[in-house]
Amino acid sequence: MIFSVRKSIYLTVLLIISLFLLGGCRSEHPFVKKTAFKDADKILIEFAGAVDESWARNPANYTVFEKPDPDIRLIIKDISISADHKKVTLIFEDDLNKNQPHILTAANISHGGKSLGSAILNVKKFYLGYLFSILIGAMIINNFVFTKYLGLCVFFGTSQRKSTAVGMGITFTMVMVASAMISWFIYQFILQPYRLDFLQIVVFIGLVSLSVQAVDTVLRKVNPVLFKAFGVYLVLVIANCIIIAVPLILADNQYNAWESLMLSLGAGLGFLIALFLMSSVRERLELANVPPTYRGLPIAFVLAGLFALAFLGFSGMSIF
Amino acid sequence: MKEIIRITLGLTVSCLIAALVMGSVFIVTDKAKRHNEHVNVQNAMLGLLGYTEAHPAPSDLRLYTVYRYIIEDGDVRTLGYMVPVTGNEAVRYQLVVMDLDGQFVDRFKLDITPEKAQEAVERASALKAVLKPPRTFVYSDSTIIARLGKKRLAYLLPGKFPGFKTFIQVILAIDPSFEIIGLEIMEHEEDPGLGAEIKQDYFKNQFKGKSFEKIKNINVTKEPLPKEYKRYLEAGKGDGTPLPKGVVDTIRSKYQDRDIYALTGATISSKAVTDGVKNIIKKFAYRMNRLDSLISEQHIPVAF
Amino acid sequence: MPATTKTNFQLFTNGILNENPIFRLALSMCPAVGISTTVMNGIMLGIAVLFVQVFSSCTISLIKNYIHPRIRIPTYTLTIATWVTVIDLVLAAFLPAAYKEMGIFVKLIVAFAIITMRLEIFACKNSVTSSFWDGVGMGLGFMFGMMAIGFVRELLGMGTILGHDVLGFRPLLFFVLPAAGFFCVGIMMAMFNYVELVYNRKKRAEKR
Repeated sequence: MIFSVRKSIYLTVLLIISLFLLGGCRSEHPFVKKTAFKDADKILIEFAGAVDESWARNPANYTVFEKPDPDIRLIIKDISISADHKKVTLIFEDDLNKNQPHILTAANISHGGKSLGSAILNVKKFYLGYLFSILIGAMIINNFVFTKYLGLCVFFGTSQRKSTAVGMGITFTMVMVASAMISWFIYQFILQPYRLDFLQIVVFIGLVSLSVQAVDTVLRKVNPVLFKAFGVYLVLVIANCIIIAVPLILADNQYNAWESLMLSLGAGLGFLIALFLMSSVRERLELANVPPTYRGLPIAFVLAGLFALAFLGFSGMSIF
Repeated sequence: MKEIIRITLGLTVSCLIAALVMGSVFIVTDKAKRHNEHVNVQNAMLGLLGYTEAHPAPSDLRLYTVYRYIIEDGDVRTLGYMVPVTGNEAVRYQLVVMDLDGQFVDRFKLDITPEKAQEAVERASALKAVLKPPRTFVYSDSTIIARLGKKRLAYLLPGKFPGFKTFIQVILAIDPSFEIIGLEIMEHEEDPGLGAEIKQDYFKNQFKGKSFEKIKNINVTKEPLPKEYKRYLEAGKGDGTPLPKGVVDTIRSKYQDRDIYALTGATISSKAVTDGVKNIIKKFAYRMNRLDSLISEQHIPVAF
Repeated sequence: MPATTKTNFQLFTNGILNENPIFRLALSMCPAVGISTTVMNGIMLGIAVLFVQVFSSCTISLIKNYIHPRIRIPTYTLTIATWVTVIDLVLAAFLPAAYKEMGIFVKLIVAFAIITMRLEIFACKNSVTSSFWDGVGMGLGFMFGMMAIGFVRELLGMGTILGHDVLGFRPLLFFVLPAAGFFCVGIMMAMFNYVELVYNRKKRAEKR
């Protein structure tokens, strides 16, 4: 059973990475290998061959602006060029706003004395990194249980044993991803184009029940062993408000398919982490001498509060 | 078999009834929602200009909105400003197209009234009539220009920038010399007790009266907010004795050119707001100067 | 179907005291922790829940004879979702400020276990009047729970009640911090347990 879970996880990860590699490596001009942000105020351009130094050093050859503000050009303070003349670094007066994609125009790229034409380049954050930051963000920095206070009923109900916690967490993650992706699809292609946004709640809750039912049926047929282990938690999933909150957040933020996948995966894994942490402490707690008035839920709440304080330390952290 | 039919029928009927209820509520509330939102923004703007219910706005105060679009024609980008123009009888909109260096490109008459222009859909259809494909256009931002009689009173700039958690939405009022008249936080999701304090008078009023020169390189300081300054900033609230006139002026001139005092425990939120405001004003000043010189050069009879 | 034998008044107080959704049943804890920073939030969300609970209970008890037992749960979900949508739209239109303050929690009423539970164990077996009073009791019970937590947090954290300054200073800023909701609920639950413990001990002593 464990083996099959592991295998499927590996496969999914491989698939995702390969898809990114396919989509990630491209540049708009054949002579430009890549562009990237560096430090707070630099943009690095890497060329396929050596460029002429006199061309590269002339700031008039470059225009850089943030995509939404084409009329406001960023002022280049300095230009440095690597020893092999393949890498040019533009240093700007002000710090760059890396959340916005920048458009860089390099006019008449000069290589060995002849012009290779102009290149319009998109400089943006590494997309994979951005997706990863969404995943980590939903998992830890904005953990749904400890920083958004959602899904508490199920959280307190199933965090008494580690085995229960892990089972619940995995089941929840599966259903979460499935239902969030279906909801995203329906929202983007049906609800929004026809201005039926106000039906969100009904549609999303319906889809959640549907995907719980679907996972139940599929699991029962495909992998009865897995079903035996996780089937009992399926009913509980629907009572968890995270599963309805995630589609609503996706709809609010207008995420695309990849971002939605990452957010829902992060939400599921974050719930798993929270359950695991909590259950490890609560197992220990059984040996402790808790005052009778605090036994059961009250002490669990205080514990969750301590965890929430600890998670507060992550807040505002940014990756990439 | 009979049971299945009964179940299906039951579910269909209940879905229909539910849809009917939700649909009718949506139709009723949608109008009210838009109206209330509009009123809310309008009140916030008037409040920034110093007009409240007790002290209503004079009848010759007019608010004109300028919409900015980015027009793309292949790789060539131009800026399109929808400006209100005084015509023979009523105010109509015209589209003024400017290239990225601020030079005049083209001018179109648009068939749209100021009331209709508030709707994004109406604007898009009016623009489509004059901008033929393959030219495409994207909405960028809007500026509200307040005019009192014959004098330009203030610019009101709605803006949005990332805060500590999610986005912070503000409206900024600045006078024609780009000095800040006021700042209002419209929407935010900062932590209560920490970042949410940006809504408090003692933070947002610090921006009042900062000159354009100061704003260009303003920063936040982590020093504690001085007591007398805090009293001055919260003076509008009415609790406690109001400061005497002379003291108000000395405090104002003393702190006029200081940086923004950060909120305790929420330096990042404070910095986000300060940087956001700085950015909005810097970009706006640059664009407004260009637009103004273009308007006077082309003799466009703008309403503002 | 065994209909309830309780009077309307008993049904009404049942939700507020014996089966208080927050402190006794420990259901719908998310808003109790998440947005209980002020009394006003408690009142607003309380009203929303009260509305959804009462209307759903009445709807279900009205149509209880027509619901096929096999599609019972989907019908409940549909009913609740409909009323949540209605209150969501109404609040967004007429009380935009309060609506923004509550954020996503209004929409999440749809996942509150307490509402489905009352439909399942009460409204589908009882008359409209009993269901109405039961719904009102449960809704008010939730509202009082939220208000109690909000009262403690607002008073201790900001020194204010309903936005009015009563203390003039801020005793413990900690209480309005997001994480303090857990502590507050935990400690209040413990207090209720303590009262119950003392009460039971007294009762036992009297018996002897």
